[in-house]
Amino acid sequence: MADLKFTKSHEWVKIDGFQAKIGITDYAQSQLGDIVFIELPQAGEQIKKTSQFGTMESTKAASEIYSPLSGEVIEVNDDLVNNPQWINESPFDKGWMVKINMADPKESESLLDESSYKEFVDKEAYQ
Amino acid sequence: MELKKTPFYQRHIQENGRMVDFFGWALAVEYESMLAEAKSVRKTCGMFDASHMGQIIIKGEGCFDFLQYLTCNDVLTIGKGQMQYNLLLNAQAGVIDDLMVYHLGDSLLCVVNALNKDKVFDWFRQNLANNVEISDESDKVALVSVQGEGSEKIIDKVFGKDVAELRYLHFIQKQIDNSQVLISRSGYTGEDGFEVYLPWEKGGHWWDKIKQAGKEFGLVLCGLGARDILRTEAGYPLYGHELNDKITPYQAGLGWVVRLNKDFIGKKVLLEEKQKGPDKKRIGFVMLERSFPRQDYPIFLDEKEIGFVTSGVYSPNKEAFIGMGYVQADCVKLDNEINISVRGRLPKAKVTNFPFVVTRTKKVKLVKEG
Repeated sequence: MADLKFTKSHEWVKIDGFQAKIGITDYAQSQLGDIVFIELPQAGEQIKKTSQFGTMESTKAASEIYSPLSGEVIEVNDDLVNNPQWINESPFDKGWMVKINMADPKESESLLDESSYKEFVDKEAYQ
Repeated sequence: MELKKTPFYQRHIQENGRMVDFFGWALAVEYESMLAEAKSVRKTCGMFDASHMGQIIIKGEGCFDFLQYLTCNDVLTIGKGQMQYNLLLNAQAGVIDDLMVYHLGDSLLCVVNALNKDKVFDWFRQNLANNVEISDESDKVALVSVQGEGSEKIIDKVFGKDVAELRYLHFIQKQIDNSQVLISRSGYTGEDGFEVYLPWEKGGHWWDKIKQAGKEFGLVLCGLGARDILRTEAGYPLYGHELNDKITPYQAGLGWVVRLNKDFIGKKVLLEEKQKGPDKKRIGFVMLERSFPRQDYPIFLDEKEIGFVTSGVYSPNKEAFIGMGYVQADCVKLDNEINISVRGRLPKAKVTNFPFVVTRTKKVKLVKEG
């Protein structure tokens, strides 16, 4: 997981050159409970850092998914729509959501690395 | 205000239960996954802490006449050792609570919803006759529900063959290991199952015994989430969702609970309503598109708003989103396509009969061998 970056809203990003894959973290899915619905943008759409790009519903509630970075959606995990439980089962792998072409790679500098994210989660869980 | 704890509170914590405030009670909404728990009950079996439910005992010479006048089902048809689903109605025929009535011989046990317990006790007190006494036993009685195909074998192991051989909606009281227990063949899941009423202070002992005995039968701990999914799949109404003090039994599709050949509070209104037909009715629906129908979402037919959702869940056993709601009477029929308003969109749903899944409550006594 060392190559992943994180946000305080519990998304993860895997950066590969100018492209980035986005999903939600294991901690996020464990807090949400069973996820039964997901709505994602379409390829070609522009998404903006810290803006909502999708919606998820668990057995508990609906929640928004925020984009960690800005860019153009180039690939969407369409199979996830019919298998939202993959977000619970495999949040970092089968549960990936979208791949984007980054508009500004510098944006990623403000993201958390794994140990800072872990620290943040421990604090949040403690409260 | 501090939440009330059932005798199984520490066990829920140990099992990593996700604890919530359920009408003042600290209860687990799920342990690992409510979807997995609800699936297990239809496949093997599950156990639930239902100790938040209220128990009110009615005794005295006039107890049967008293409850007969306060409820719409016929209390006099319950045999000793049997139980009955019943409704308490107000003068406008609105539902004060739905309850199970147990015939204990010379007294009656009413098992009521946790959120209505005090309201029901007050209603009883207001209507009390000289030869009737009521007592609230809720703080003395723990309730464990064991549901699913394996429940009979578990109950046999822990409480004996006489209990395991009970017929549906029958119960037995017995003294075992210094505990006076009452066990009925009943439940709120649509599966075969048992409800075990225990002395509060002995609850933990029996919880552990049932759990241990259930291991070989695939017994799974289930929270309130699974309970809600299972009762929705079975088409059972839940107070605060499908039932409240403005909804009548006819509107709720509970006409089978109404006996018009006796006198009771609310009868006058029901006689009129039966003549002209209820103005709204409870329906079930299955979503035709993947979309979560939640409580209070509006229901549409041909772009016209006709009602609202009262319950909605993802059914892991049907693998679809299902729900219930109220619509104007006579505007939809079975299999009609309707729309549910979900966050600005109008996904399609189909009007469906209850139950949503095949239920397996035991109706027939098992034939004894030899």
